[in-house]
Amino acid sequence: MNQPPGGRTPFRAAEETGRTPIQPFYSMRRFKMPPQIVRLVLLTLAIVGSYFVARAFLTPASFGEFGWYRGEALVELRSRTPVYAGKQACDECHSDQLQKLAKFEHKTLSCEACHGVSREHAENPDILPVKLTGSHCIRCHEANPSRPKWFKQIVVKDHYSGKCTECHVPHQPSQSP
Amino acid sequence: MKTQYSRRNVLTRLGGAIAGLLTLSTARAVKAAVQKVFVSSGAPKDYDTTKHKWLMCIDVNRCIGCGLCVEACKKENSVPEGPYFRTWIERYIIPKPEPGSGQTRGETLVDSPNGGMHGFPPSPVPKDQIEHSFFVPKLCNLCEHSPCVQVCPVGATFDAPDGAVLIDPKYCIGCGFCIQACPYGCRFLSPVTHTAEKCTLCYHRITRGLKPACAEICPTQARIFGDLKNAGPDDPIRKFYENNRVSVLKPHLGTEPRVLYAGLDKEVR
Ligand code: HEC
Ligand code: HEC
Ligand code: HEC
Ligand code: HEC
Repeated sequence: MNQPPGGRTPFRAAEETGRTPIQPFYSMRRFKMPPQIVRLVLLTLAIVGSYFVARAFLTPASFGEFGWYRGEALVELRSRTPVYAGKQACDECHSDQLQKLAKFEHKTLSCEACHGVSREHAENPDILPVKLTGSHCIRCHEANPSRPKWFKQIVVKDHYSGKCTECHVPHQPSQSP
Repeated sequence: MKTQYSRRNVLTRLGGAIAGLLTLSTARAVKAAVQKVFVSSGAPKDYDTTKHKWLMCIDVNRCIGCGLCVEACKKENSVPEGPYFRTWIERYIIPKPEPGSGQTRGETLVDSPNGGMHGFPPSPVPKDQIEHSFFVPKLCNLCEHSPCVQVCPVGATFDAPDGAVLIDPKYCIGCGFCIQACPYGCRFLSPVTHTAEKCTLCYHRITRGLKPACAEICPTQARIFGDLKNAGPDDPIRKFYENNRVSVLKPHLGTEPRVLYAGLDKEVR
């Protein structure tokens, strides 16, 4: 019988020991993990583990609070102080002006549309808002064919001469002083 | 001196390093929590993001193109000088068709000099040749399915639970993907911070119970700002719905904007 090079066949070994021959590929009663697989598993665990450690370390605490972003950003974005005070802020001291305005055509206007940013003034009345010259009226009322028809417009150079406030009370524009 | 690398040695050091990192990150978390309690950031405390759903309604028939909203937005949000806008106004001029041309209308002209911030120059088309002309204020369309959020690689832009689409300035890397993705052109790269910027619906104002600066300053109530989750029957946004048929910009994109327009023309995109 020809022997395969490099050793005995398992069949011959079985014959010699007198036990039933074992099919080496299908039945592994005493399975031992090969050491290279053990190392591979350990290495994979180490890499995945260090990823989680690094992630825990690098991502901010609030990331994922509401979604795929930093929840803290919402707080930061709303911590800025407003610039425009808003119409309600003037009510505290100028409620008479607000009531007057509400009865006339300019009722939809915000105080700051004409008087400009007035938050500093609302917090400290000693700082007065900028004096108005009346040129701001033209910004809204100058005739322009793109403006809607319902809006009252004037061709400034044809509409009487003189300061607007001489004939129109700014808070009650249909009244004359 | 020669360092001894035994297995035990290396493993203990590795374990020590991991434990150290974990302690550090816990310490940071604790520090952040303590700061949150004791240091006031100036942000309103009683605001709950999940209890609101903001929207903006725009009535094109009411806009007079005064540009106060653009100016107010720039001042309120320190938007950089130059052609950078979080909101702007476009003027549409649709001339009458040439007689015998077989068309319903002439070639539409659209302009927005400096975003409309200082108003508009006289119309380039003589008054008697204009069929329609109107102003369209534009801003972030508050999409339900925001393309800009989908493309952000770092999670810096997001849909807040209250419907605002916001940018985390600390996380933005300025790659510009979102600027490309926005179909409404509502974003720009700030030359100051080199990060993307856009309308935040004046997040610092609305969380304090104020209106956004543009809606506050608008003299004709062309911009109506509201909260869908807290709208009573008399709310201006309910009135707006009752009185108008509304549409949105570029509906075919499926972005489902929450900026609703009344009185749009088909030329407006
Ligand atoms: C804390 C109270 C207070 C609030 C709030 C306030 N003001 Fe005043 N304001 C004053 C007082 C007091 C004066 C009168 C000053 C004087 O006559 O010297 C004044 C005067 C003015 C004037 C006239 C200035 C002038 O040159 O004569 C204007 C305009 C004005 N306020 C606008 C506003 C607007 C707009 C707001 C809202 C953003 C506002 N104020 C909020 C207290 C207030
Ligand atoms: C249409 C533009 C406009 C609006 C809107 C407006 N003002 Fe005025 N206001 C003026 C002008 C212009 C003057 C200056 C009047 C003058 O010089 O005679 C003035 C004057 C005043 C003064 C000085 C006192 C007076 O009666 O002359 C106060 C105070 C004032 N405004 C408060 C307010 C408040 C508060 C609001 C918001 C409710 C408001 N204004 C809205 C244009 C406006
Ligand atoms: C921010 C824009 C704005 C400014 C600035 C402004 N107005 Fe008006 N004005 C309006 C609006 C809006 C109306 C209401 C128009 C309507 O309902 O027909 C109006 C109405 C009027 C009317 C028509 C009243 C009527 O008889 O129906 C007059 C007059 C007038 N304004 C004068 C002025 C004068 C004078 C100034 C300057 C002090 C001024 N406006 C500044 C927006 C403005
Ligand atoms: C000499 C007085 C006078 C001056 C100055 C004046 N107006 Fe008038 N304005 C009137 C009178 C009177 C009316 C109402 C009758 C009319 O339409 O002529 C009027 C009407 C208006 C109207 C309503 C137009 C309409 O279609 O009903 C507006 C808007 C207006 N003025 C704005 C202004 C503005 C802005 C200025 C400043 C550039 C100004 N006015 C200056 C006297 C004046």
